[in-house]
Amino acid sequence: MNKISIPIGPQHPLLKEPLTMNIDISGERVLGGTLRLGYVHRGIERLAQQKTYVQNVHLIERICGICSHVHTTTFCHAVETLLGIDVPIRAQYIRALMCELERVHSHLLWLGIIAKHVGLDTIFMHTWHDRELALDIMEEVSGGRVSHAANQIGGVRFDLSQEQEAMIRKTVNDLSDKANTLMDVIENEPVLQARTKGVAPLSAETIKNYCVVGPVARASGVDVDMRRDHPPPPYDRLTFNVITRQDGDAWARTVVRAEETRETLKLCHTILDEMPDGPVSVRAPRKVPEGEVVVRSEAPRGELLYYLRSDGSENPARLKVRTPTLPALNLIPKQLSAIHVADIPVVMAGVDLCIACADR
Amino acid sequence: MISGLFYLLLFPGLLFQVICSLFFEWLDRKLLARFQRRVGPPWFQPLADLIKLFSKEDLLPEGANDLVATLLPLISLSAVLTAGLYIPIAGFTPFSFEGDLIVILFLMSVPTLAYYLAGVVSVGVYSILGGSRSLLQFFSYEVPLLIALSGPAIMSGSWSVEQIMISQGSMGPFILFQPVGFVLAVVGLIGKLKRDPLDIPKAKSEVVGGPLTEFTGAKMGLWHLVMNIQAVLGIFLLTNLYLGWTKTFNPLVAVVVFIIEFLVLVVILSGASAIYARLRIDQLAGLGWRILVPLSLLQIGFVILMGI
Repeated sequence: MNKISIPIGPQHPLLKEPLTMNIDISGERVLGGTLRLGYVHRGIERLAQQKTYVQNVHLIERICGICSHVHTTTFCHAVETLLGIDVPIRAQYIRALMCELERVHSHLLWLGIIAKHVGLDTIFMHTWHDRELALDIMEEVSGGRVSHAANQIGGVRFDLSQEQEAMIRKTVNDLSDKANTLMDVIENEPVLQARTKGVAPLSAETIKNYCVVGPVARASGVDVDMRRDHPPPPYDRLTFNVITRQDGDAWARTVVRAEETRETLKLCHTILDEMPDGPVSVRAPRKVPEGEVVVRSEAPRGELLYYLRSDGSENPARLKVRTPTLPALNLIPKQLSAIHVADIPVVMAGVDLCIACADR
Repeated sequence: MISGLFYLLLFPGLLFQVICSLFFEWLDRKLLARFQRRVGPPWFQPLADLIKLFSKEDLLPEGANDLVATLLPLISLSAVLTAGLYIPIAGFTPFSFEGDLIVILFLMSVPTLAYYLAGVVSVGVYSILGGSRSLLQFFSYEVPLLIALSGPAIMSGSWSVEQIMISQGSMGPFILFQPVGFVLAVVGLIGKLKRDPLDIPKAKSEVVGGPLTEFTGAKMGLWHLVMNIQAVLGIFLLTNLYLGWTKTFNPLVAVVVFIIEFLVLVVILSGASAIYARLRIDQLAGLGWRILVPLSLLQIGFVILMGI
């Protein structure tokens, strides 16, 4: 058959955010593809240099619509390291709680999307409905469902009351029930497995060569998790399991994320149990002393790296954000060969792209 | 003359089939929505959608053959409407003759071929991809479907749907003797209608809208109508062939039983689209030729042995 080129994007039902893949196919076989990015580049890193640190907390939150909290947490952590101030323990725990809830709703969102791409709209609707519970907690404690504005340099902007804590525990229990049901369904759904097992497997070696992080790496047996390997506080005090699988195919990625959702919900309980009393923020000076720092944390999609250089003024001299999506994007053209056209959505969705994060 | 016009335009022709198809679409969407924890559309939504589509601008990409693209849905619509005249409704059979089952099956394959052609004449890449997929799918489900549907005909010794219904009146509904055949026919029907989970030719995340990607306005509306009428007729046909004992009842009971059977089949179709994921085209071909065809042959063998 003749080679034809199909454009996927910038507008396509498969994509939730704009990017372009030009995919060469012959019949139902995919020959390869090229990637084009940059549709949602907003110049945030440059903009950050023109704003003060306090303003930047809110700017950084706008990098991503799903993992907005982990971005601000990492940024605040970087600034606090340069300032040399100790954030109250309770504030660290509240930050971690928000991060974990974010991971829960991000993973549930992804599970819905992969189900939708293989034609299982029912699971999509149900997971997205369950995800609302996590968003409800966010709204209850911070007032915002997407942008929470929870962090400030030196701590968090709110404290948890007894009632809120009880509400969180109850909702997390509900979510655990739902995650168990979901796991049960996807483990016993033959067509979903037929569509994802053995699709675009990635070896641990490839993962390491391409520096891929997060659930995609863990699904290929690369045991990395910043929360355990280089724990930002308070993760050094928390214990949790890191989920890995060896197969590296789309099914392993699905299972890793589903299992991680359950593990994360358990971690939410641990955080609430161990959360100490005390203040939730300390006063931070506006000017940051000269110096540079690299801070790493585990976003829902993998390692998030912030490089921050200060020249002693109110504005950062340079802020560099490396999001987990970028290395995963490099892998997509590699995965798009010798697969079926029907597997394109599974491959593209399998790495859980966040284009807004990658473009910034 | 008057009765002929009545049959053609009102019952069991155009008006009845359009109303049934709109009702089917609403029920299907509502059931699916309830399965998925959504509210679902109000009862008039399919009609509103149809009116909206007919009032929209009709566009095709440059290079597409407008005449053929207009004729294809019209030909499909006339084919399914004609097929509808020969399908008994609650035992009412104005035009029955020996061999009408074959005519019905032939007329109901016309939309599939037109669907493929629609993909080719509307020149989009997704359309062509979807078109070739729809042909591949056609070869996968049509053979087991036809073999399965010949089961009732062999059992009653006639290719007339009316005769098949009469023999079911004396022998009992054929679903009792051919449960496998019934399941195969339902799978084949889902494939024919390109419904979830066999909506491979129009899988949204893979080929956008399939062959109909470039269609808009009234042509799109006609295609929707064709698909829904085809679904209704397929359900009617299955009801008659496998649950067709209504001929022996008094007409009022027959109508009630027929409606209940229709609703049960709609629930089965909606349930299938809610609980199954979409297969890949090669997986469908494997399913069709490795599992469905042998099963349908076994069913036929069983029927023939029973006849001896």
